[in-house]
Amino acid sequence: MEKVLIKGNYAIAQAAVKAGCECYFGYPITPQSEIGEYLSGEMQKLGRGFVCAESELAAINMVIGAVSTGAKAMTSSSSCAVALMQEALSYACGDELPVVLVNVMRAGPGLGYIYPAQGDYNQSVYGGGNGDYKIIVIAPSTVQECIDYTYKAFYLAHKYRNPVILLADGLLGQMMEPAVFSDYPYPEIDNSSWALTGVKNRPARAIYSLEPSESKLRKRINHLFEKFEIITKNETAWEEFDTEDADIILTAFGSMTRNIKAAAKTLREKGIKAGCFRPITLNPFPHKRINELAGQGKDFIVVEMNMGQMFKDIKYAVEGQSKVALVNRSVGEWLRVEEIVSAVEKIMEKNYAASV
Amino acid sequence: MEKNFILAGFGGQGILLAGTILANAFMLDDKNVTWYPCYGAEMRGGTVNCEVVVSDTEVSSVHKKDCDYALVLNQQSFDRFINNVKSGGTIIANSNLVEITKPREDIKYVFAPMGKLAEDLGTNKVTNVVSLGVLSSCVNFISIEALKLAVEKVLGDKKKDLLPLNIKALQAGAELILQV
Repeated sequence: MEKVLIKGNYAIAQAAVKAGCECYFGYPITPQSEIGEYLSGEMQKLGRGFVCAESELAAINMVIGAVSTGAKAMTSSSSCAVALMQEALSYACGDELPVVLVNVMRAGPGLGYIYPAQGDYNQSVYGGGNGDYKIIVIAPSTVQECIDYTYKAFYLAHKYRNPVILLADGLLGQMMEPAVFSDYPYPEIDNSSWALTGVKNRPARAIYSLEPSESKLRKRINHLFEKFEIITKNETAWEEFDTEDADIILTAFGSMTRNIKAAAKTLREKGIKAGCFRPITLNPFPHKRINELAGQGKDFIVVEMNMGQMFKDIKYAVEGQSKVALVNRSVGEWLRVEEIVSAVEKIMEKNYAASV
Repeated sequence: MEKNFILAGFGGQGILLAGTILANAFMLDDKNVTWYPCYGAEMRGGTVNCEVVVSDTEVSSVHKKDCDYALVLNQQSFDRFINNVKSGGTIIANSNLVEITKPREDIKYVFAPMGKLAEDLGTNKVTNVVSLGVLSSCVNFISIEALKLAVEKVLGDKKKDLLPLNIKALQAGAELILQV
């Protein structure tokens, strides 16, 4: 198949079309506006739905409306505007709706600015909506993965009737890289048992999250968590390199992954046995595998463009079996390979006494 | 081998397009490549830049502080990026808009009248493509053939009529006798 040089944002948009996304609802925001820009023309050409909504609140609720008919639909946005969508995500989980949301992260808090950052790990993984709910979160690290995981996002959302967030960042959204578009590789999911498609020839159905019976509400929450147990068992994904003989393991998510791979290579050349571990699904998190590696005495260094959000999850997964340190920057220029290498050396010198 | 390029100029000079053509040329040469633009308010009238990283293996990082090659089309970009060229690296400048000065001794300089050459071809709009031709003669791993194919790819069917002029611009840039 032919390689094309393509921006992360356009890759996501084109993959959504190839995945059979029937409706897109969105409101422009840098650094992801190219997604809506591309789809505004393409969806019309294909006779599919495109609405430039009046706000992000409207956009995500339009997605809820569309997917409740069993259709594939998505929205995309960035950090401060994804914050507006948190209530709807809680509803979509409660209603078990296959919402697909793409977040191309920028810097916060508040309006922040358009610089790339990774500060929405917590927002995505833990969520800002009410109640007990869990969202599937997938973090691509290259433009190729933007395509592959957009496909996966639609598939998992429909397979499990659960919202999925594709968590990219401004760097990935804006950069170009050669990539290949395969055909949508997943089977189509039959939604006919629950979708609201009109009551002709069948009894009426309703989708709602209101549940005024204590026992029924408890049952529903338990069901959601049992479902996520299955998701955890089946769908937890990660990537690891040179971990077998490693003394330390560099960990990152999203587009920082390539930087830690290069840093680990440099460290190996300097005689430090470094490996890499990168969660692909941030939720479900590869807790078990990290725990195993920590049990073998391997220390972890978490590299991320925020104040240490995934750091806490790694620490939690390590359960005190080995040491964990953080190498981070809050926003903007991605930590360079040489910066990561020297930070790691400093941490080792100080025997993990402090984060750098 | 991994090398990176910063391309810079003022908004409207076609810097991002030049970077796109260069990145496509590397892709057509079966190399790993990334292209990353400055984005945001900077684009309105000020300097524009993008970074292209090419590598035999996976690109280690998309955005680096220092570059092996800087291609600058105006004075502001020269002043801004002169200190971001690695020791031993090269800065390639459009001498029609950049004063010929050599403030650092540890880098190489190439000054070429790219703007003038583009005007001689009929329009200064192809200064960016001329600059890629010049770049190909300064950097031994950029092939002019791949650049030509890349220009064709980037222009596509819609702007096919502009192809002959752009091929001429590339060739003219590559054949320019350089003032080093």
